[in-house]
Amino acid sequence: MAKVSSEQSRRGLKARIVDRLARAVTGESLDALQQRLQDLEAEVQECRQLNIRLAEVTDLVEQLLLPMAARDEEAIAAAVEKYSRTI
Amino acid sequence: MVEQVPMDVTAVDGSGVHLSSGTDTVVDVLFDGRRIWSFWTLRDAAPEAGGLLARWPPMLKRFLDGQTRLAVVEHVSGRVVFDEEMSLGSSTKRIAVVDADGRPLGIDKSNRIATTFDTRDPEHTAPLLDSTEQVLSALHDAGVAAFPAYGTLLGAVREQDFIGHDSDVDLGYVSRHTHPLDVIRESFRLQRDLRGRGFAVDRYSAAAFKVDVVEADGGVRGLDVFGGYFLDGRLYLMGEIGTPFEQEWIFPLGTCTLAGRTLPAPARPEKLLEATYGPGWKVPDPAFHFETPRTTHRRLNGWFRGSRINRNAWDRRYSRLREIMPPEQASSLAQYALHEEGTIARLVDVGAGRGTDALWFARLGVPTLALDYSYGASNAVGRVATEEGLDLEIAWMNLHELRSVMAQGARVARMDGPPTLIANHLIDATDRVGLEALARFARMALSGGGRLYADFDALTPGEQHVPEAGWDPLVPKDVDHVAGALRATGAVIVHSTQVRQRVTSGSGEKAGADRPVSRLVAEWRK
Repeated sequence: MAKVSSEQSRRGLKARIVDRLARAVTGESLDALQQRLQDLEAEVQECRQLNIRLAEVTDLVEQLLLPMAARDEEAIAAAVEKYSRTI
Repeated sequence: MVEQVPMDVTAVDGSGVHLSSGTDTVVDVLFDGRRIWSFWTLRDAAPEAGGLLARWPPMLKRFLDGQTRLAVVEHVSGRVVFDEEMSLGSSTKRIAVVDADGRPLGIDKSNRIATTFDTRDPEHTAPLLDSTEQVLSALHDAGVAAFPAYGTLLGAVREQDFIGHDSDVDLGYVSRHTHPLDVIRESFRLQRDLRGRGFAVDRYSAAAFKVDVVEADGGVRGLDVFGGYFLDGRLYLMGEIGTPFEQEWIFPLGTCTLAGRTLPAPARPEKLLEATYGPGWKVPDPAFHFETPRTTHRRLNGWFRGSRINRNAWDRRYSRLREIMPPEQASSLAQYALHEEGTIARLVDVGAGRGTDALWFARLGVPTLALDYSYGASNAVGRVATEEGLDLEIAWMNLHELRSVMAQGARVARMDGPPTLIANHLIDATDRVGLEALARFARMALSGGGRLYADFDALTPGEQHVPEAGWDPLVPKDVDHVAGALRATGAVIVHSTQVRQRVTSGSGEKAGADRPVSRLVAEWRK
């Protein structure tokens, strides 16, 4: 226990010293950079999330396009029913 | 320099195991000779009164009332650190950590209370092996090379058997696709294929799902299937792996042995195990926790996750209620919709929950569709509707799975009669994406006419929502924001009012406080 807590407090102390030094050197630009990093991370996630949306639409279109291309009303209705049942 | 303190247990009581320990050691806690729980002495214990305290896992606490012979044993060396007949709570009975049917339970590696393999006989694991082979074979037929993964692969390689402290079977496959979009589409295709073969499939993410197999005794067992793929020399496997990896370590598949059965395995299973559990994978660790790097977690989240917002919490809530009939009183929203419409040609309850309103409408002779994302939430209502021969269909839709929203939207649009949609406390139970999906669904479903009726907890003017500790099923919403999101999809709000004060429930500070409920009625005119 003593070992863990002393290691943790050493790490915490080191992080605080580094943070203070960085702030002394960079001033407010550190906050701006941290904010920019957060914004960039959020934007990267937004891009990644497009995969799911696009895959969902592609999957649906692919399953429905064939009966639609054949203008087969019954097959379209059956495709819509089957699609909902099997996801 | 810190002196190495040998691991020692000083006491065990209602709060947990009191101990001292200089090094992190994994130990098992045994009740009457049976392993119930395992923990790491430093990682899982907190400083307390000059020593350490490993608190009982919350899900174990309800069992801790009675007598037991309690032992704490080092898992790897087998050294007995503590072994005493003792009593917890006030009962004089033996403590029995068992389920409702008397089956022994333990805490598994994922910190769940479950029937772990160390208490199952071969006659109980044989059906599980049959199911495993059945799902592996179905996945193979569907075009992916699946194999036991995670703890199941670890057991097969290390012990040629299930791991005692494990409780489920995990399968994995590595897609031949190299773009997450294609990996997701393949996963959708696999799900459709398995559904077509009669398996129930419940999706965890866009690349992982659970396959339910009905076993010989009628019991249903869920096998987890995790998809993966290679990207730029790294293997990503749901839900924890993102590591430099060679394709030749997976393909072509080899074999492993699990409890006497020969099953497929990655070409170099030890490489996958090292990527999963680290270089120490050969040393048993019944309390293993994944420490997935943040960057891997973010990648897997961004590519594949996000479709189960609050799902687990709703499933847990309904698991105790789904076979019990809900109260028969229809909601104020349902009564209002009927009053306003006079005659309803078709009713669609979006977020139907246990199906109270859906049953009420169906009993009035209205053809009704009840949609919810929690499977089986309205089981009891479904049974009654069948018995009474009602025109009530219960179907699945998840506002966070766009394809389900679009497909159900198209279905409803094709049904006879302009539908009336009700969404009773759905908007406040979902997030921005869910609200936009509801609007999309309504626009599609109501393309031939009809209205959406929605009630939701609303913020008071100027109020900022402060989340309570724990799970908040309903998060009050800003009325203007909700109306704006509906209007953005072409809705015309034909009615907007505050209907009543809902008295909030729960145990938080706000319990018993008044909460305004907003009612919106919208149309999508062409």
